[in-house]
Amino acid sequence: MMAIRAASTIALLVAATLSVADDTANVSASPDDTGERMPLHTVVPKYPEAARQARVEGEVEVCFNVDRRGRTRRVAVRRSSNRAFEKPAKKAVRASTYRPLAEGRELSGIKTCRTFRFFLSPVVIETP
Amino acid sequence: MSKLLTQRLQALVSIGCLCLAFGLCAAQENKTVIGPSNPDLHNGAQALLAGDAEEGVRLTLLGLRHASNTRERITGMSNLCASYVMLEQLDTALSYCGQVLAQNDRHWRAYNNRALAHLQMERYIDAEQDLQKAESLAPNSRKVKTVRAMLLDAADPVAPQIVIDDRRQPADNDGD
Repeated sequence: MMAIRAASTIALLVAATLSVADDTANVSASPDDTGERMPLHTVVPKYPEAARQARVEGEVEVCFNVDRRGRTRRVAVRRSSNRAFEKPAKKAVRASTYRPLAEGRELSGIKTCRTFRFFLSPVVIETP
Repeated sequence: MSKLLTQRLQALVSIGCLCLAFGLCAAQENKTVIGPSNPDLHNGAQALLAGDAEEGVRLTLLGLRHASNTRERITGMSNLCASYVMLEQLDTALSYCGQVLAQNDRHWRAYNNRALAHLQMERYIDAEQDLQKAESLAPNSRKVKTVRAMLLDAADPVAPQIVIDDRRQPADNDGD
């Protein structure tokens, strides 16, 4: 268990295919850590327009299982600072995929949690 | 001006007077009124709601000629302010909104429409002052919130950003 916990805290930068649902949102990702299940297609949620207009920022942690074929299952919000971000976060996770499990390997039963941080950065506009 | 732009502005300006035009206010004064008490004012508001600002101005000006009380006059001028915002004749719009507010300084639609006019003129400080008034008078108005969002986007633009962080969690910590 300790090894799992230790592994869980190490974030590795693994190249992942990012699918940007919202063209206007800048995205950065630090994909999965242990290397057991590699993200194959990571869908980025859309920043809710009402939240953007109201200048609301937030964070959502979504936990889920990954099946043998790499599909996300049992997607649920574990922690959220604002409900406005929950739906787009869950939708993005459901549309994301992982690499299928290799033949002969067992499912680990370890849940994956993905945290989405929605924030707004000031835009600097240059005037000629 | 393109029809599309007119329709977009029409969606933003606050058009009032249905209550007055339908005679509900008269009914509150124990008069029985069937149909609009001021048909021109009513039809002007309908034209504005349909996005026809020119026709809205024409009918509202006609309605103002027959205005029988202060409320009708205020409503007519407020709708003229909205019309001229839609037509992007902003100085004229400011004049009508100013006249409304001179008679009723709690008219949130006039503050909201004047804020929109200021916003289009890039007078952000004036827009902010009027918008604060509108927000204090009608805090739940969707129109006011929309203009607030427009002002924020104009004066303080932001870019949405999303960071994704993946971490493994032991299943026994999830409670399911």
